Amino acid sequence: MSKNIFLKTVLFSFILFLASCDDKDEPVTINEEESLSLVTLTVTNEANNSSETYRFEVEGHDHGDETNTGSQDSHDVHEEIELEPNSSYLFEIRFYNDEDPTNIEDITLEVIEEKDEHHVFYELTDGAEITITSGPGDTIDSNSNPLNLITRWTTTAAGVADVEVYLIHEPTSKTGGTRDDFGGATDVEIEFEAHVE
Amino acid sequence: MFDRNFLKNFHISFIWSNCLNSFSVLKAVVSICILTTSFVFSQECALTLTGKVFDVEDNLPLEAAVIEVLGSSTTTVSDATGVFQLKNQCKGKITLKISHLNCEPVFREIDLFKSSSFNFQLKHRIESLDEVIVSKLRVHELSATSKVHSLSELEKDRYSSKGLAGALEQISGVSVLSTGNSIGKPIIHGMFGSRVGVVYDGVMLENQQWGQDHAPNVDLNTFENIRLIKGSGALKYGTTPGGVVILESIHPKRVDSLYGKTILGGMYNGRGYSAISHWVKSYKSGAYVKFQGTFKKNGDFTASNYNLTNTGNKENNLSISLGKNGLQHQWKAFFSYFDTDIAILKSAHIGNVKDLLRAIESDVPLVIEPLKNDIDYPKQANNHYTANLEYTNTKVAKGELHLKYSWQRNNRKEFDIRRGELKDTPSLDMELNTHNLLSNYEWNTGLGNFDSGVLFQLQDNYSSPDTEIRRLIPDYLKTKLGGYFTAVFNNTKDFIFEFGARYEYHNNVVQKFYKDSRWDLKNYEAAFRKYVIREEKSQKLVKRTLEFNTFSFNAGIRHSISPTYSVNFNYSHTQRAPNIAEMFSDGLHHSLASIEYGNPFLEKETTHKAVIDFDKRTGDFQFTLTPFVSIGNNNYIIIEPTGFESTIRGAFPVWEYTAISALFVGADLDFSYAFNANMQFRNSTSWVEATNTKTDLPLVNIPPLTINNQLQFSLPNWKSFFVLLNSKNVFRQNRYPNNNFTESVIEDGKIVSKLVDISTPPNGYHDLGLELNWGPYPLRTTKVSVSLILDNVLDASYRNYLNRLRFYSDEIGRNISLQVKLYH
Repeated sequence: MSKNIFLKTVLFSFILFLASCDDKDEPVTINEEESLSLVTLTVTNEANNSSETYRFEVEGHDHGDETNTGSQDSHDVHEEIELEPNSSYLFEIRFYNDEDPTNIEDITLEVIEEKDEHHVFYELTDGAEITITSGPGDTIDSNSNPLNLITRWTTTAAGVADVEVYLIHEPTSKTGGTRDDFGGATDVEIEFEAHVE
Repeated sequence: MFDRNFLKNFHISFIWSNCLNSFSVLKAVVSICILTTSFVFSQECALTLTGKVFDVEDNLPLEAAVIEVLGSSTTTVSDATGVFQLKNQCKGKITLKISHLNCEPVFREIDLFKSSSFNFQLKHRIESLDEVIVSKLRVHELSATSKVHSLSELEKDRYSSKGLAGALEQISGVSVLSTGNSIGKPIIHGMFGSRVGVVYDGVMLENQQWGQDHAPNVDLNTFENIRLIKGSGALKYGTTPGGVVILESIHPKRVDSLYGKTILGGMYNGRGYSAISHWVKSYKSGAYVKFQGTFKKNGDFTASNYNLTNTGNKENNLSISLGKNGLQHQWKAFFSYFDTDIAILKSAHIGNVKDLLRAIESDVPLVIEPLKNDIDYPKQANNHYTANLEYTNTKVAKGELHLKYSWQRNNRKEFDIRRGELKDTPSLDMELNTHNLLSNYEWNTGLGNFDSGVLFQLQDNYSSPDTEIRRLIPDYLKTKLGGYFTAVFNNTKDFIFEFGARYEYHNNVVQKFYKDSRWDLKNYEAAFRKYVIREEKSQKLVKRTLEFNTFSFNAGIRHSISPTYSVNFNYSHTQRAPNIAEMFSDGLHHSLASIEYGNPFLEKETTHKAVIDFDKRTGDFQFTLTPFVSIGNNNYIIIEPTGFESTIRGAFPVWEYTAISALFVGADLDFSYAFNANMQFRNSTSWVEATNTKTDLPLVNIPPLTINNQLQFSLPNWKSFFVLLNSKNVFRQNRYPNNNFTESVIEDGKIVSKLVDISTPPNGYHDLGLELNWGPYPLRTTKVSVSLILDNVLDASYRNYLNRLRFYSDEIGRNISLQVKLYH
């Protein structure tokens, strides 16, 4: 008798379960809201206020990611930014999510909102004499450290330098001369060549 | 009942007594092994019959077993080593009755024509009639021909607040694949994940076990018995070529009683504390209630030289069993809840390959903060619910019929360091619901013991889209149908034979989004276009049904060379359907800065494994030597690096699942020597090598040679005290594949190319442990015992090859823990 009750219970719960999971809906599409897919650099010559905007996204970006199957990462495709010697420029960096081209999201606003947890760092190779300082209108965090969202680039002699740009999340320090000094996790890493000529 | 033997020259028979019909005679389940004959007499009545009586449960010799030759006045008693001798026996058939206090007598008919020697195994645990049924349920023989390792209560309690994998690591051949210091999963003979099963309360644990950083979501304190078989010796539960871990509850006795055990623990490193309590209320009617609760919490741990920032954890577990053990019907309802939050070392959360490189190049973690007790991001938060209902009927034609329904719900959340509104949103949130319906029938005949069963499983995996991160594992619905048959032939003189077979049908309905870029790169258009059910911008939803039929079998033989020596040989042919992660995973692994892709073309994996045990289980000197070999031919699934993928964070190495040919060889050795009653030495050594035979390169994450030495001593006049000194030597793994790659960085104003060395194993290490145990001492109505446990006594700083976070930090430094055990 008890066996029958048991069996009925088991069968009943199983049928219930089958009924409940059989009509599972199709999974929802996920658009990665916070993912960074586009970085723009707007370079303004302070002498004549002429400006140009450079876009950085993954090569062949189809609003997904591009893959190469080489054995090493390739560093040969470089954006070039032309600067004049003995000049002063303002660089404004902005971060976007353009996974959905009809609804481009400006992540820079979140970076500004969480200013204490973010920092932008430009790391340069030798080859051009460029001095980078925080520019007018830059965001300053609660410890009076500039975020480097807007920077002033002062050039002197002509030359070419490779530039790596990092958006650092939760840096352990906001001062330093190399990427190592900042710690944290790298959220964006783009590179270009600065041509001072 | 009388059954003839199939080995003609020995003519042994059993007389089974039916415990349900007779009050004086209890149940008997007997297996025999035999000693080869050493000398032969030709005289009619000058034969000597020697024998040895064992307890079938623990294989220990039984002293004071009474051996009678029926129909004569000859009687003898076994000595302390279980040995007895009957001299001056005549040629011809005699019937022996072997009995022991609280054991059911065993009757054996022996056709004696030369002096011979036999082993007898008695079922010992029975204490009253009411327990006849109960004891049957208590400990199931897992395998008659594979070595079954079990953890003693002391070994289990030692890890009561540290987790299952660590407890199992005390067994030779078992290592732990860890992620930091709180997440560990067992590696058996070089295999882990889906190749190692964890069975709790008779059901395979389903908790996304494919993940390298997914520890089994089960509390070892819920179960009294923890046993392990290396290899697929237990096809009853599933097909796991590495091995299977069995966690079982003991059914309470049919008496009016209330008893329990509480372990209170405190830990210096991590400033942790734990309370584990277990209570049983049993009634004479056979009804019982069991309750078990675990609470533990640790803050940040410290390595010998620095704090391990964000490494705390907490765990709250609860289980309740209700049951009734009748003479014919037994039922049980079991519910358990497991909940854990585990902090992940902060410095292991990295953004890209350059961050990984900086971490590898730094001797110390890149984030070291003052000690905290809270758990911060990144972290894992997992919970696991289980509800089982089971019924056993013991009188179905003298066998046992088991029916069981089991439901498991596993939720795994992984939190990363995120930005903005998603800060407190997990990056991964998966819910796995598994329903199992199992039925099996066990019966005995004169030939041996048989077990046959069927399984129906439904499993539903759902990834929450609220994470706003593309699914690592797609949603799927899995249906599994299976059946098994196992047979143990144990009435042959020198041998026990075992055979098992299991068939499973898997049906996976998978709904997976593919990125267009991936789709084009892998040219999935040709193969999967017809399965596309929806197209979004830059993504395609594919619905596929994947079916697998797996057939596994094993065969084992146990040969008793003498009453003390035996040899086991086991061969298994195991087929495993690829898991969903191996076929469909798709996502970024933060701690390794790698992108992982499944391979939708994988086929079922077939593993051949042969294990031999040389086993000496009695006397001052005991040993078990277990050499083994496993072969996976063309379809052994591993993950390996295949290229790079560019993202806005830089280029990431891509790892993809692929099928190779693999060869595992190794051996485990355990031996112990008792110098005297107060001093014992134990050694356990594990060695395994694994090679991709297609490329002749070693496989990754294979445990290095490990030698564990243990000295236990007590004082003759202070019996309730002993000291355990443990020395663990882990050698450097010299066999590893080179998965290194290079990354360009700016250094001193120049771009230089640097090696990201994710392959080179760290040096070996020596871990010294000390344990002092007092008790149990009576204390009012309870008994109390106290243990003081010191781990890494020398506060050595070292890194562990099998820790996935070894690039970021050392292992934890010295730890001192105090445990107080109360037996209520």
